[in-house]
Amino acid sequence: MPTVIRAKFIVVGDATVGKSSLCQVFHSDGSFFNKAYTMTTGVEMVTKQINIPDTKDSVEIYLYDSAGKEIFADHISKFWDHPSGVIVVYDVATEATFSNCQKWLDRVRQTEPNLHIPGVLIANKVDLDQRRRVSPKTGKDFASSHGLAYFECSAKEMQGVDAPFYFLANEFYKLYQERIETLKSLS
Amino acid sequence: MFDVASKLAGAQIVLATSCDDRYPPENIIDGSDETFWPTTGLFPQEFVLTFGSMMEIKRINLACYNVKRIIFEKSEAPEPLKFEPLTERVLEKTDRTLQHEEFSIPGGTHIMHLRVLIESGYDHFVSMHKLSIDGNALHG
Repeated sequence: MPTVIRAKFIVVGDATVGKSSLCQVFHSDGSFFNKAYTMTTGVEMVTKQINIPDTKDSVEIYLYDSAGKEIFADHISKFWDHPSGVIVVYDVATEATFSNCQKWLDRVRQTEPNLHIPGVLIANKVDLDQRRRVSPKTGKDFASSHGLAYFECSAKEMQGVDAPFYFLANEFYKLYQERIETLKSLS
Repeated sequence: MFDVASKLAGAQIVLATSCDDRYPPENIIDGSDETFWPTTGLFPQEFVLTFGSMMEIKRINLACYNVKRIIFEKSEAPEPLKFEPLTERVLEKTDRTLQHEEFSIPGGTHIMHLRVLIESGYDHFVSMHKLSIDGNALHG
């Protein structure tokens, strides 16, 4: 029987950066992009199982798409216990959404200060080329100084959406493999 | 008294919430702390052990790794249902050595099924290496 690793990924970032759109495009295999905006008011959870290349194993991802409006901040963090990974999203056309990434990352990492939580930084809305305010370099520098992997996407154009989710799932799978090796050396 | 949780005494793991075939939950009751059952992500996690027959138990001995809060529940019913609290503890974190814990059980505790609930851990993944339970089979 193939092994299923279960991972809880917390998706955070300011309101309207496209967190729900990214989750929906990923979850629907690129068949669904909601053109009408609906504000997420709490935490919406979707699951998706993906296969790990060159193994029979898979990772079952539980995506916790969390409201970006500050008024919900206390409420949503109650759902974040034991995060397996963090996905921080910003909008490349709105600088403030990028500056707030630090705050969002800190909030998720604070839930388990002693635990290594792998993460990715997603620069969304790269289709808005003319209106771009945050350069790729700025994004990459922030990501690398905070131990995150950097990805650019456009949920609207369905470009690059899967990559960060697959990357994070693979990272978590690798973590499991490493822990198994540690366990073998104990006792 | 003998180890009533061992495979040899007829005990079986009848449910486990994580499964990696390379490290099956039976490793918990094979008498060795070198073999283990790892959880494969998320909390809580649990396993249920059914004894060969109704037992009276005195002490639970556990070897595990990175477990934080653990809860034991017991059932005397024929089927693994109607669990009641038995004992619980928050374990200390250890570094690269197994957590060894002993739980004394009040006299006269009869048990057919044991539910072990791992509520939280010090890492994404935790492991159970060895569970042994001192007790006797109840006759009559």
